[in-house]
Parts: sequence; structure tokens; C-alpha cells
Amino acid sequence: MTTAQFRTLERERRFQNPPKDKSAYPMLEAAVAPHVGSFNQLVENDSNEGLLNMAVKDIGYKTMFDSVDTDRLGNKLRIRVDAVEITKPTIPNNDKLSINQKTLPYECRERMISYKGKLRLKVAYSVNDEPEVTEFRDCGLLPVMLKSNRCHLQNLSPAELIDHREESDELGGYFIVNGIEKLIRMLIVQRRNHAMALIRPSFGNRGPSYSKYGIQIRCVRPDQTSQTNVLHYLNDGNVTFRFSWKKNEYLIPVSMILKALIETNDREIFDGIIGDDLSNSFLTDRLELLLRSYNKTYGLYSKQETLAYLGDKFRIVFDGTPDLSDIEMGKIVLEKIVLVHLNGTATTNMDKFKMILFMIRKLYSLVSGDCSPDNPDATQHQEILLGGFLYGMIVKEKIEEYLNNFKLQVQSDLTRGLKVNFNERKYIARVFQRINENIGQKLQYFLSTGNLVSQSGLDLQQVSGYTVVAEKINFHRFIAHFRMVHRGSFFAELKTTTVRKLLPESWGFLCPVHTPDGSPCGLLNHLSHKCEITTIPSNVSSVPSVLSKLGVMSANTVCAGPSMCCVQLDGKIIGWTTHQQGKVIADTLRYWKVQGQENLPVDLEIGYVPPSNKGQYPGLYLFGGASRMIRPVTYLPTSGTDYLGPFEQVYINVAVTPEEIESNTHSHVEESPTNILSILANLTPFSDFNQSPRNMYQCQMGKQTMGTPGVGLVHRSDNKLYRLQTGQTPIVKANLYDDYGMDNFPNGMNAVVAVISYTGYDMDDAMIINKSADERGFGYGTVYKVEKVDLGMGRRKGEAPTQHFGFGDDDWPEEWQNTLDTDGLPMIGSKVEEGDPIVAYFDDVVGKTKVKTYHSNEPAYIEEVKLLASEVGNEECQQITIKYRVTRQPLIGDKFSSRHGQKGVCSRKWPTTDMPFSETGIQPDVIINPHAFPSRMTIGMFVESLAGKAGALHGIAQDATPWKFNENDTPADYFGDQLLRAGYNYHGNEPMYSGATGEELRADIYIGCVYYQRLRHMVNDKFQVRSTGPVNSLTMQPVKGRKRSGGIRVGEMERDALIGHGTAFLLQDRLLNCSDYTQSSICKRCGSLLSTQNSVAKIGKLSSVRCRSCSTKFSKTSKFVSESEIWEDGQGKKFVGGGDTTTIAIPFVLKYLDSELAAMGIRLRYNVEPK
Amino acid sequence: MEIDSDNGAAITIRDADKDHVDLVLKNVDLSVANSIRRTMLAEVPTLAIDLVEIDVNTSVLADEFISHRLGLIPLDSTDIDELSYSRDCTCDQYCDKCSVKYELMVKCNSDSTSNVYARDLSKFNNNKILGDPIIKDKDGHGPLICKLRKHQELRITCIAKKGIAKEHAKWSPCAAIGFEYDPWNKLKHTDYWYEVDADKEWPKSANCDWEEPPDPELPFDYESKPNNFYFDIETSGSLTPDNVFMKAIEALQLKVAGIAVELNKEGVEGNDASNGGFTTYGKTPGNQSPVGDSYGSGSFGASSWS
Repeated sequence: MTTAQFRTLERERRFQNPPKDKSAYPMLEAAVAPHVGSFNQLVENDSNEGLLNMAVKDIGYKTMFDSVDTDRLGNKLRIRVDAVEITKPTIPNNDKLSINQKTLPYECRERMISYKGKLRLKVAYSVNDEPEVTEFRDCGLLPVMLKSNRCHLQNLSPAELIDHREESDELGGYFIVNGIEKLIRMLIVQRRNHAMALIRPSFGNRGPSYSKYGIQIRCVRPDQTSQTNVLHYLNDGNVTFRFSWKKNEYLIPVSMILKALIETNDREIFDGIIGDDLSNSFLTDRLELLLRSYNKTYGLYSKQETLAYLGDKFRIVFDGTPDLSDIEMGKIVLEKIVLVHLNGTATTNMDKFKMILFMIRKLYSLVSGDCSPDNPDATQHQEILLGGFLYGMIVKEKIEEYLNNFKLQVQSDLTRGLKVNFNERKYIARVFQRINENIGQKLQYFLSTGNLVSQSGLDLQQVSGYTVVAEKINFHRFIAHFRMVHRGSFFAELKTTTVRKLLPESWGFLCPVHTPDGSPCGLLNHLSHKCEITTIPSNVSSVPSVLSKLGVMSANTVCAGPSMCCVQLDGKIIGWTTHQQGKVIADTLRYWKVQGQENLPVDLEIGYVPPSNKGQYPGLYLFGGASRMIRPVTYLPTSGTDYLGPFEQVYINVAVTPEEIESNTHSHVEESPTNILSILANLTPFSDFNQSPRNMYQCQMGKQTMGTPGVGLVHRSDNKLYRLQTGQTPIVKANLYDDYGMDNFPNGMNAVVAVISYTGYDMDDAMIINKSADERGFGYGTVYKVEKVDLGMGRRKGEAPTQHFGFGDDDWPEEWQNTLDTDGLPMIGSKVEEGDPIVAYFDDVVGKTKVKTYHSNEPAYIEEVKLLASEVGNEECQQITIKYRVTRQPLIGDKFSSRHGQKGVCSRKWPTTDMPFSETGIQPDVIINPHAFPSRMTIGMFVESLAGKAGALHGIAQDATPWKFNENDTPADYFGDQLLRAGYNYHGNEPMYSGATGEELRADIYIGCVYYQRLRHMVNDKFQVRSTGPVNSLTMQPVKGRKRSGGIRVGEMERDALIGHGTAFLLQDRLLNCSDYTQSSICKRCGSLLSTQNSVAKIGKLSSVRCRSCSTKFSKTSKFVSESEIWEDGQGKKFVGGGDTTTIAIPFVLKYLDSELAAMGIRLRYNVEPK
Repeated sequence: MEIDSDNGAAITIRDADKDHVDLVLKNVDLSVANSIRRTMLAEVPTLAIDLVEIDVNTSVLADEFISHRLGLIPLDSTDIDELSYSRDCTCDQYCDKCSVKYELMVKCNSDSTSNVYARDLSKFNNNKILGDPIIKDKDGHGPLICKLRKHQELRITCIAKKGIAKEHAKWSPCAAIGFEYDPWNKLKHTDYWYEVDADKEWPKSANCDWEEPPDPELPFDYESKPNNFYFDIETSGSLTPDNVFMKAIEALQLKVAGIAVELNKEGVEGNDASNGGFTTYGKTPGNQSPVGDSYGSGSFGASSWS
């Protein structure tokens, strides 16, 4: 058993003197490392020139000509982006007043603006291949990630961070967009540069004779953009190569690609695929057909011919310029599409050729059943698309779009007949001016909406949902955002549940506990707390030479199928060896890399797939790229730390505990069994004693807790912030709790909890709170709300302000001064209720002082008023934010929970005298019902109660790390002993007495200390009552919605229940009287609701209801009628008769229905009885 | 120390110090013992800060939070009888007869954080001990109210009033009251559940020494009642434990007397059987028969009542 410490003084000292060197919580920094690390790769850094600079190289030139003639090209202009620069956020250029040029994140949060740096492109262009002219273009302001290498906070110590008005352990990893903290969430994508065998029925939909078999490879360029290639198997044995370009799919016979890549012949292709497997007639038959049918159809033999053919066909698609020959065009196609991860070396085409041969062979093996399909849902074949990389991909696409726009602008100038002169600087400047250069704004749009606007689709499966708000409800929620991995919204709509399944391959990489229940279950996962994501490609330059030293035969000398072991490094075939040798090589490499020998990187993934009977396609696959999941484990031969990836882990025996190591079986052992759990799942005490769904619920509820979102709340302007007034450190906590510094942000309070059925107010998950405990501040919380008042809302840019904060000289009500100070702003600390003025301003247009009022039925106190200056700071203040403080003491109906998925609603605050008490006079703060346990089996909560009690009695903290106890050493005994030593019952029971009678209760009561969380769901935000109120003007029925003080719908099912119970009066009350009850007049004679009207009152005669259609028009010529029988309508027309009307009670919608039907020419007629 | 009285009720004080007393109450009914416990917990009047007027608060804590902390500071209530309840007082809001006024004026001028303690509360009528904050720590600080940084300031006026814990826990003179009877469980009121061995799993109560162990030979006496009650009273300091006990009995007596007075009043509707009262409560009824017509005979409703 390990022990835990409270570390109170240590923490206190750190609060008073924040560390001046580095954070005390390196594990927290590691938690956000994938985000910050990937963003740091975008621009020049320690390891490379920056992804964006690689990207602009990949984009290359855009060429355009200035001639409108078809037979003449004219002058040539080639334009490219030479380099990309992003600056740290600064004040705008036109701000001449500020002394400090930096824009700091806290300012962005408080002013509700974005944290952006300048994006500058170094554009280079040359006319007619003359020397290039370079020019810097400002492309708007690009939101930058906090704590990245483009942020002012990078590498600051906690003490400096506090000087910059941040939390002492600000993590970064997110962006600030319009004052809101946003992050790009990690996405699961297919593992890069590895050919995967797939069986997908949808592959058959590509066309006739297409089969369900395919080989898919997601090739990633050095700039982290990707291009997916698929080989399709056709039922006749043929193979087609498929790719997508700008959201369109293209299919090419694979032989064409092969022949375009290198100068080759059918023999070479045949040998390269078959190797020495000549007896395999399945293979030979199909190969023969593949080669023959291609030759027959296309008749292209040489490389040049094939390239020219390809170039011709794809010239339009790839936007080829007329100065390029078909062959050059064909080369471009191959370079942009085919196995793009192999680009950039001298042997590129040969490598691609060999890889395609390998893929064809794997495809045939799949079809013949010699190898199994790879599971795309398994972590083995997955990697993580990191936020920074995605951001870079979008920037790259926008830069390309920018160059294209330049070209389009030139073309549109040409077609409109404007003078186009490339040699004139003025013209070029004019073109730049006419195109949209604001790339930063497009990225800001991406961050604030999460929508991807893209021509190419970026090889991704979704267009929205890329970003989420990093909500700071409490620290659990906040940190969980950065460990969140989504499977992709495409899978959310899928009806099958296979993608959601928890597969053994994810062991140690994705937490098995921490996933929400409900619709995102299994799709939204969280990384295990020790899982890391590589952000920098490992240095694998020494690998090929090491391999050849170990006896791998060069790929140029041998070719073979699954009978040999193919050695690949990041999707490039290095060579071949035997399977026996392959295993030895894999083991040797692993030993060397852990030892740090031969310059091998320790995070190199060595996936040795052994030959098997119809299993995964064998080979030795080495991976060193970025975006891989890796996790530390102990390597047994050297006791060093090895980093495992999900691909290799499947074939490696990792013991979970040192005790279970078997020699000759295990090569690794886990550093700790808790490594498989996420940060939050690790914080659940004794989670190994709980039923597993309860731990899932706790992971959700921990994130909904009203806790401590942060310490620097004065420098935040979040819309809504929850805060627990007196949070405590739990007595019972896992030791990781301290490693992650959770005590800086306490999430609940230790409560004395009795498990007893008492008073009946604890039925059905209700809990009773001791009234005195409540009065002493148990669970007391506060909600902070921020409202922004903007006087410049309706004003156009450049206009002078017409409204000014403060009081004018006119007469205004004296009582406004109750809450407002002389400057027109609310006084700090004053209480406001609905309708109270919160700010006064003088309106020039009407010459009057006006106020804005407080709109919420909940009283609040003014906490803060902030004056927000304009962007440049040379204008009058037009915006303020007001922070309200709403007190939320626990109320009946508020939700609480322990850390074991046991939530409950407070049902009563019970007087302390009536609460049960123990012999020592201890009264519980909280009472919960014993029925909450049998079906839910949250034994962990019992253990926590026991441990908490023992801890409180001895004044010690208790370690609650899971898997520390076992069958022979149970927590019941461990803590029971402690209790006994303190003079308490071994099992945690105590005799208790009824508070009301003083009588001893019949049974002993289980009472102990449990850490309770207050959840943010509070009645004050939820209750909905109404007697009368607003109604819909068309139907006269109550409106819906709590905000509009509407009613709660009595729907069909509720109606059915009432009918079923025969409660007719209640039914009428709900459906008619409390809804759209109306009294309406009706004509008894003709039965019409609509034809009645009121007659005009005359002298000696009151107004009466008459039926217009049953009355006859009175005219002087008609026969005599008594004056008293004549009635008049509003227009003075006179009628006789139609007096046979009455009043009935109907739902108003009936009248509406009648009118609608009347408009269609349908008459409703009601029989009214008695007549 | 033994305190005996004629009617048999007896108290043995086993241990006592400034804020804690351990006593045995003998020869009373369980209901009486529990009533005393309940009264001590909730109905002994003490003094606590109830109104807080905040003039300046530039500390990091919210107004209501500081007010709450001030309310929970125990104040000396030994002479609480000198004070009347605010609601019974003749004054408008509060006066010297029903309240004690304090001022808390602190400002931090040093570079380091300064603490505000209960001792910083300055009482207005300082010639009495009533209302002095209870200070127990050796440095003489009293409870910590708030911490101030440089230039932060508190200017607060507090009004302490008399009240009982039934209304708010801050008026409770007790921290906890230990209460036990029948330590050998001779009455079999409870169970003492055990898994293997009750003697090993259940620690013996210290009070067992004060009673005869059960004789396993004797038959179970189902008529016996608890007789000895072991109290362990711990106070918050506002009243001494003996004071708490005495005042609780006083409060209890007053309540019982109040009931007796009410019951003996003429003109209590329910008492007046001649006018169809519900009960006579031991008083001789009028010349009419005390019971009206039974439900069966008369018509239901008002007839038998008037």
C-alpha cells in the first residue's frame, strides 16, 4: 500500500511564491503537448524549416500568360510563395498611442477579441524566366495557439505567467477567437504510409465488375497534407488505381501508373509481383489478364507514351498551363497523386513502382484469402490528426487559393480587355490589391465555426465539427478537452455500432472508461494519460544502413510476396529478408533503440508481423513519422523505457504487473497498470471496485461539477462561470491527483455521509442535506455572468458616436442612482434585480439620458465593470462588460454526486436536531438511501467512505489509486484496521440514534467521509412554472420555452395517460381551460362559427350577436318590418333577423381551423343543441 | 461530582474543562434526555453577527462570503440574558438592548499579505464581556476572516444579535454532543452486526465500565428502559458547557411551561368542551356530556358540534 500526502504547505508556498524556473506539474504540460507541439511545427523551429514553408514549396509555381490570342502565349508570369512568416500577436499598425507593442492573451479574453499574429507571405514572381522579384504581402491576422512558438507566453515560468495575468500553470494549446477559447480537436485518421487491405461492400459501387476488395494507403507529404490512393480489385482480375482530386474521383488502370513511373516491361511487372511463387496459378492467371487486357485496350508501351497519355487526359483536371508538354503534365500527375509520401528523392519513381507492386500482391493475397483484411476501426491502423497540422493544411490550401486567385484576376483582366503588363510593377500591385488577401480571416472563420471551407476536402471525411469551445466549467472539463479524440462526425451518422466498439488494440492508447454515454459513445474517446502523440518526425536516416547491416537484401535485387519478409520504413520498401531473420532484425532493432545505439530513435515503431495462416499480411513495418500514438513501457531485457506504438503492440507481449511476467513470453511490462486510464478516469477513487459504467458516469459528472475553473477569474470574461466557494482537497485521492495539480482547482467537498433510509426524503436517489451543514457553507457556489453593453452596435464605421456612457443634463429619474454611480456605470457590489438599470447613457439624437436594464429574474450583484477601448484606442469608450455575481446556495432540487457515478437531488434540508447522530455526536452532512447501491454495485464508494473515515480520524490522506489492493490484501481490512485503532467499528458501521426520539436505531449505520461534488444543474436554471402567460397570437395557445415563461407541453402520450385513467376533468383542464379556452358566438340556425357578429347598439337597444348569413338585408322597398327588429352593422348596413345565436366554449384553434377551411371553400357546420 | 435531587434524577460529571463536559444523566426518561440534547443543540440562545453593513470591501472575497464568515465567529454569550431578542425589542431596527455592534476597519499597507482575524473586530460598548470574539489560539488571533493584499481594505460594521440555532447554525453553542445509553446493549435496541466475531469487530464503549456487564444467565428483561445517559458536550466556546446545559434546561422548562399555560387558558377553542371542543385536556368539562353524538347516530357534519 502506498500512502498519499495532503501537501498543503507545499501548495501554500507555491501559491505565495510561484516557481521562477519551470512548472511544478510537468504532466499537465505533457497533456497538451500534442496541440502545442503540432502548432510549433508550422513555422521554422529547432527541427525543420516549418511545415508551411514545405507546403509552399509543394504548391510550386502558378504560371500565366498575357495573350488573348489562341495561337500565341505572350509574356509568361510565374508566381510562387517563397516563404511564410507568422509574427507574435501585436497591436495594430495604426495604433500610435500604445507603448507596449505586445497583445497578450488576457487582453483578448477581456476585450473579447482574437489572439492573432500577422501572416506574411514572401511572394516571388518572375516574368519570362527573368530573375525573380520578391515582395512581402500581409495576409491578414492569423489566430495563433497559446504557448506555441508564436505566443508571448511560450517558455514563461509560472511566476512570469502570473505577471502576464494568466494562471500559474497556463497550459495553452488553444486559440482565442472573439474572446472565446477554442481548440481544434484531435481526429482519428488512417495510419499514414501503410497499405491497408480492406473489404468494403461499397467498393463494389464504383462500377460494373468492381469487387469489394481494395488496398488503401494514406500517403502523407512532408508538410503533413495527405493524399489517399486505393487499388481496386475487379472481378475479372484487373486492378484499378483510384484517387480523389478536388472532391472528384478518378480511376486509372494500375498498369498505366506502373508503366508511367519507370521504363519497364510486362516481364518486370510480372516478376515483381509474383517473385518465385510461379506455382500459384491464382496469381499467374490474374496477372496475365491484368497485363494482357491493358496492352490490348491502350496499347501504350513506353514510359513516354504513357506519360503523354496521362498528361493529355489530366491536363484540364490539374489546371495545366499551355507551356507544359503532355509528358511534363503526366509527370506532374504522378508527383501530385501517386504515393506522394515517396516524393523528393532520386529514386522516387522506382520506390513508387515497387510499392505499387507490393500493394498489388497484397491485394491478390486478400482476394485469394491468403491474408485477412485489416481493421480500419482498430487503433493499430490509426493515427491522430493533430490540430496544428490540420491548421497548417488549411493555411496551405488558402495560400494555393490565393495564388490561383491571382491567376484568375489576371485572366479576368484579359477577358475584360484591360491592359495587362507583367513588367509593370504597378499592374502587379493592382492585381494584388484586387484579390482577397485576408487568409487570416478565413482561418478565424474556421476556428470560430469549426467548418472547413475547402476545394480539395483535404482528404478528410467531414466538413464541420473540427473545433470545440474549451469550456472552463471546472478544471476537469478543461483538461479533458485536450485529451479528447474524435473518430470523425462521418461515423456518428453510421447505423452500425462496429466503429464504436472498444477493441483490445486500443489498450494503453485510448481510455476504456472515459467516453460519454449516448450518441457520441465510443466515437469520442480520450487518450490514456501516458499516451503521447509524436509531433516531430523521428530521425530515421540511420535505419536503412542498420537494416542492411543486419542482412536485409536490397529491394533492387529481390522481389517477393508474402513468403518473404518485406521491410518497409514509413511506406518505403527498404528490402527483403526471410521471416526468421525478420524477427531477429526486429528484436535487434528494438534492443538497440532502447539502448540508444546505432542512432536509432527510441520512438521508432517496429511492427513485425509474423507469417500466419490467413492472418495479417506479414512483413516488418517501421514507422517514424509524426502523429503516431506512442506510450512508455518498460523493456525487460534492459529495464529501459521503450515507446510502443499501436501497430507493434499487437505483436508484443506486455505484462501488466511485474508479478505476472513469464520469461520467454513477455518482453515488456507496464510502468503502471493505471497507465491505460485517462486523466479523469484515474481520479476516480477505487475505480477498480466499481461496476464499469459507474466509472464512465463519473468521468462525465466530474466534467459537470461546479468546481474551481481557475484562479485568475478577474482577468476572464466568460459568459458563464461556475465556482464552488469553499472547495477542499479530497481525503481519499489517487496519487496522480497531486501530479496533475488538481488541488489548485478543487472540485468538491468532503462530507460525512450516512447510508440510511431516514425520513423517506431520501427515496429514489434523493439526498438529504443537514440544514446546519448548509448554513455553514456546504456546497455553496457562485455563478458569474458577463454581459457586454455595446453602444456602437447600430453605428456604421467611421461615424461619430451618438451615444455616450454617463448621465446627461436632462431630467432623469432619481432612483437610477440606487445602482448607478455618477459616471453612469453600476456600482461594484450593488444588488440588481430584474428591470433595474445597469448602465446609463446619453443619446445625442433624442437628447435624453437612457438606461439599459438587467434582464434576468434572478437577483445578482455587480462584481466587475470593465471599460473596453476601441481597437486603436483613439475613440471614445463605446463598450463595457459587466460581470454579475449570482449567489447559488444549495437549494432543494440541486444536483450533487459522489465520485462514483452516484448522483442525487437534494430533497430536503433537514434540521440538525432531527438528524441521526452517532455516539460521538457526529451528525451526517448528507444522507443517502441504501437502495442506491445493490443494483449499481459502486463498492468503490463504500471503500472511499471507509478510507475517508479512517483518514479523517487519523488526520492522514489516503491513496485511492486503483489496483493497489488484491484478494489477499483487501481495502476493507486495511482501512478496517485503521478504524479499529481509532476506536471505531472494523466495518465502518456505527450505532446511531434517532435525532427525533433519541432512541437507538435498530440497525448499525454505515457512516463515513465521501467527497461530494456539486453539479452545475441547478433548479434555478431549470424550473418552469406558469399559470397564465404569453400565448401564441395565431392559435391562442401558450407558447413554449422556459425563457419566454411558456408552458410545458402536455403531449400525446400525456394525453393518452389522462384518457387511460379516465380523468376527464383533468383532461379538460389541461387541454382546454389551461390552453386556448375561448368563448365564441355561434348561430344555432345555420351552425356557423364565423358568420356571427355584434350589431351596433342603438338608442333603446343594446348590441346583440347576430348571424349575418341568417339575416336578410333590409331595404325600404321590402315588406314592413318593425323598427325593433332591424339591426345595423358597423358600416351602417341594415339587416333583419339572424338573432338565433348563442355563446359556446371552444378551443380557439377550432375557430382558426374553421377560418382556414373557409378559405378553401369548405364550410363547417355545427349542430348546436338544445336548439 | 454527584448532583442528586429528590425526584431521583441525578447527574455525575466525569470530566470537564473549558469547552467540554462529560457527564452521566441518570434516572430520567429517554425522551427527557433527548429533549435536553436537542435543546442544547438548537435552542440555547447565543450571540452571533447577523447584520453586516459593508462600506468598503476591496478584498478578493465577495461581500456575502465575508458576511457569512463573520456570522460563524463564536462570540462570548455568557451574559446573553441581558440582551433581548431583536424582534421583542421596542426599538426600530436594533439598539444596545438587543444587539452588539462591531467595527472592522482594516487596510493592508505592507507588501506582504496581511491577515484579518476575529480580534480585529472592535466592539462598541467595550465595558462588558458580552460579545467578545472567542479566541482560543495561543497567538490570540481568533478565527481568520480574510486575507488582504497591499491596498486592499475592509470597512465593515457588524451587528450581532441574539438568536437560536434552530434559525441558523451560527447561533449554536455546541460543536457536537455525544450521547449514549445502554453501552452493553442489554435492551437489544440495536443489533451490533458483525461478520465473524462481534468482540473483535466492535470496540467496547468507554461507558461500559459504568454499567454492569450483562449476565448471560438472566432472562431478557423486555420491560426495562434506558436509565443512564452518557453525555459528552463540546461547545464552540460562546458558552461554557455547564452554561449550555443549564440554559438548555431553562429553555426546556420555559417551553414546557409555555405549553402548560396555553393548555390552562380559558377560551382556547379546543379546550372548551361545552362549546364542542375537541378535548378537555384533564379539565372538568361543562354540564354537557363530554362526547357528542357518535358518527353513526347523528347526521354527519355540524349538528353535533354546535
